Amino acid sequence: MSEFIIETNKLTKKFKNRYAVESVNLQIKKGEIYGFLGPNGAGKTTTIRMLLGLAKPTYGSIQIFGKDMKKEKLTVLKKVGSLVEYPSYYGHLTAYENLEAIRILLDAPKSRIDEVLSIVRLSNDAKRPVKGFSLGMKQRLGIAAALLGKPELLILDEPTNGLDPSGILEIRELIKSMPKEHGITILVSSHLLSEMDQMATQVGIITKGKMIFQDSIETLRQRSKSKIAIKVNETEQAWRMLLSKGIQAEMENKQIYLPHSSDEAISTVVEELIHNRFSVFRVQEEKKSLEDIFLELTSGEGSL
Amino acid sequence: MLKTFASDLIKIKRKMIWFLIFLGPFGVVALEAVNFGLRYDYLTKLYADDLWGGLIGEARYLAIPALMLGLTIIASMIAGIEHQTNSWKQLLALPISKLRVFTGKFALAAVLLFASSTLLFIGIIILGIILKFGTEIPFLSLLKMAYFPYLAAMPFVAFHMWLSITMKNQAIPLVVGIVGTILSMMSFNFPDWFPWKWPSLENGWGDPIYSVFAGLGLGLIIYLMGSIDFGRKDVQ
Ligand SMILES: Nc1ncnc2c1ncn2[C@@H]1O[C@H](COP(=O)(O)OP(=O)(O)OP(=O)(O)O)[C@@H](O)[C@H]1O
Ligand SMILES: [Mg+2]
Repeated sequence: MSEFIIETNKLTKKFKNRYAVESVNLQIKKGEIYGFLGPNGAGKTTTIRMLLGLAKPTYGSIQIFGKDMKKEKLTVLKKVGSLVEYPSYYGHLTAYENLEAIRILLDAPKSRIDEVLSIVRLSNDAKRPVKGFSLGMKQRLGIAAALLGKPELLILDEPTNGLDPSGILEIRELIKSMPKEHGITILVSSHLLSEMDQMATQVGIITKGKMIFQDSIETLRQRSKSKIAIKVNETEQAWRMLLSKGIQAEMENKQIYLPHSSDEAISTVVEELIHNRFSVFRVQEEKKSLEDIFLELTSGEGSL
Repeated sequence: MLKTFASDLIKIKRKMIWFLIFLGPFGVVALEAVNFGLRYDYLTKLYADDLWGGLIGEARYLAIPALMLGLTIIASMIAGIEHQTNSWKQLLALPISKLRVFTGKFALAAVLLFASSTLLFIGIIILGIILKFGTEIPFLSLLKMAYFPYLAAMPFVAFHMWLSITMKNQAIPLVVGIVGTILSMMSFNFPDWFPWKWPSLENGWGDPIYSVFAGLGLGLIIYLMGSIDFGRKDVQ
């Protein structure tokens, strides 16, 4: 068995003549919260639909729990809970009845309904028809439904879509608590990297159907470390001088960039510059946000 | 199978479907009550030798459009429950095969229409007794009147279940069903192989059972084709 809970090989989906997903190799380890990121229309939902057996890949294979989805779909789905795009529910039924209709199909014990209702904190609204629920409550009910079968893998497609900040926070806390408390692996998609920053351990970024980044969120954060930009006259000479003194520096856009360093290190550099009669115009910190990196990555493919 | 059926039963709680199940047979019985009430003398004279037979014959004629329209609407409502908030993706990501999902829906429609047929059976008996047609009730022809058209209409139950599930826009299956209802009402001159004729139980052999066999046979074929198609397609 491979070490991955989800592993896809050249997963591809073609609609007519357009690739919605092209040669995607997802690799998700046990216990991870995998943030699946991409702008609108990137192919997140299409990928997730294929993972759940709702759509057939045009090409490529999917292994979940080391089992081939094509051959053992139902065995795999027993241990998977999902929420795809906006929540599905039966509006005329109460929250409890909604879960009961699903529970029967899963053969889960009746007591599990109360358990999941309390996990998503809907116990008090269990007897109300769902059509009167707010979007946040419907979304939570969707998560409750996904948890009914005690899944080992949870696949959530934009679970915070359309929620207000407090709703987003609530869902995020809920998701974060899962691997800790229940040992679940989670794939969660979003088009906001900032949201993932607060919960994901691994990140996959997809744009125009192609995976352009897949690594730990730490690696992504490295890229966002701040740099110190120094503006001087005679940039090139100043830069060479610093290099000759054994100071690591880069030159770009007629500025000198220092990797993030201590206050003392910066003051040493400035002292050197002044000592060598360069005029120091500006010393400033430049920090890229994760969002900047995300935009850079996703627009690198050539934006619309 | 039982699981999907039980789950579907929960989903139609508090739905108009239950009312329709009752409305169909009740409508037929009520119209016959009016028919016999207004033309009591004329009709009892016409059917003097066989009052029950007369009532059954009249009811059968009305029951066909009620059945055809009823199956159209019921299939559409059963599918509509999943279409409404696009619950197909939630349902089909559960560990149950698409064949079982399709079979569950088809079985639900079949059972509900069976319940309707049974209500018609009971309703006509009550009406006959109220009309003082005697207690020598011809149960066999009553059973045939109530259940044979239903069995002969199985191809339409299967077809409409498939069509309503396949199309998100329910206007199309409803139009198809209404056209089918009209066709079934004017089917007397059509050839025997024409499925819309089968619910009327009229055929060249003169025995309704042939219409029933034809209906069950084609119904099974359409059900199988429908479930294969449903299994093959991506979920919307
Ligand atoms: N059934 C379909 N038929 C044709 N094209 C489709 C279909 N489903 C999706 N697409 C196309 O595939 C591409 C990827 O869509 P997808 O829904 O997977 O994107 P997404 O990453 O989930 O976007 P969003 O953030 O908006 O949810 C889009 O260009 C979309 O138009
Ligand atoms: Mg999407």
